[in-house]
Amino acid sequence: MNTVSIDFKPFIEWDNNPFILFDNQGKILYLNNAAEILLGYVSRKEIFELALSHAPQSYGFQTAPVTLRYDIFNFFSVTVGYENEEQLGIRLYNAPRIRNQSPVENDKLVETDLNILLEANIALFRTRNNNKLELLTDPDLPKLKIDQNTFSKLLRKVFEAFRASDSIRIELKMLVGEHVIIEGKKTPLALLSVSANGRYVDTDKQIVEFAESCHVRYYLYEKSVKLEIPLLS
Amino acid sequence: MDNFYTTSDAVKQIVKGLTLTKSLYVSSIVIGEPHTGKKTLLRHIFPDTPVVCGSDPEAVEKALDQNDEIIITRFELLPNKENLDFENKRILATADYIGNHNVVDSLFAFIYTMPPLSERPDDILYLKRRFLREGAEIFDIDAEKFPVEEIPNDIRQNCKSLKRAVYFRLAMHTMEQEDIMKVLYRHFFDTLQGNNAYKENIGLFEIPLIRAGLDKYGSQLKLSEILGINRNTLRKKIHEHRID
Repeated sequence: MNTVSIDFKPFIEWDNNPFILFDNQGKILYLNNAAEILLGYVSRKEIFELALSHAPQSYGFQTAPVTLRYDIFNFFSVTVGYENEEQLGIRLYNAPRIRNQSPVENDKLVETDLNILLEANIALFRTRNNNKLELLTDPDLPKLKIDQNTFSKLLRKVFEAFRASDSIRIELKMLVGEHVIIEGKKTPLALLSVSANGRYVDTDKQIVEFAESCHVRYYLYEKSVKLEIPLLS
Repeated sequence: MDNFYTTSDAVKQIVKGLTLTKSLYVSSIVIGEPHTGKKTLLRHIFPDTPVVCGSDPEAVEKALDQNDEIIITRFELLPNKENLDFENKRILATADYIGNHNVVDSLFAFIYTMPPLSERPDDILYLKRRFLREGAEIFDIDAEKFPVEEIPNDIRQNCKSLKRAVYFRLAMHTMEQEDIMKVLYRHFFDTLQGNNAYKENIGLFEIPLIRAGLDKYGSQLKLSEILGINRNTLRKKIHEHRID
């Protein structure tokens, strides 16, 4: 098969798996769209070191199974390769995400200002925790359709995990460039992140239950909980 | 609209949270000791919302069928709570205690805890002043004559006992001798029995008499002169009634 005349670059550019090409000093020569988003969550240096540690001993390409987690990104493998001394490439393979198959119950969904729901839940939380709390929200976040009662329960359970925490930081923002497919529709996402010096895990089971019921993707870390909220319209 | 006032940070957050949910279809419950102002708070924020009591399950069921927004008081009394459907309704409830935690946890999105008056010292002062104003109007007396600091902070039953303490103080000052006798008459009529009732009830007269006398005149000698009884008799009665 003759591939000489085919321009492969757009295929790499639009690949969901991040790809980065470094020079021998770790400077980025090229990165695709997925890598651009990834670098919002992990440093260039860390990825370069990852590439160096998985680079083959001589010219060529090497794929290694690795379990990597950078915030909301999970990877199960990397391919690292070089064909000269000047350029080193790395491709990270996204771990498959379990897709929520449960149908969206449209009759339960009500158009909602997420900031109001969040503020009401913070007020509830403040009746139990007076520690310092930092809140960063996007007031221009578009309204979304959501089951308000179930989603409020989800927020309550998330906040309960931080009931004795210090230095709590809550951030609500649009996930620019990221989408989720729900019932065949490309749906934009908002990210709610709650982090602190530590947290309880006794509400995790209910967080999972309520999140799945609302088609919200959840990330439960040692010191933070992140929710990817589909902005259904 | 029922007036609601608080200086407590925790209660202010409840007010804020409930006010924010006015535009949302969510279920909220306020749990706390009796007479802490739970119902007053909900009536203050949701003045036009129908109110039903958990002690009347049929009324609750009917209200849920007919309204998108209701207040259910004494939620803990409602049977078969697990069968309730709160979907796409604005349900507001109060409860004196949580009861089955799992059921409450699964039904309500917002679960608030109303602090008792013992944790809201500034609210006690405010409520005393308010009850004093109300009471003075009822008794037709000048509220200024009764410094709130002199009224005891009886918060054993939160607002209920506090209000009683204020009204009692006002009632005391408006009573004539005849009213006092009427009160005693009612008491004796209700309780008089046995075969030693005179001795058992004489304290109702002697204890306040001696206490007031001692507070007013300071010494037993002076009081015995005022009462026109022997000093030893007075001492004996003080001992008998375990005064001081």
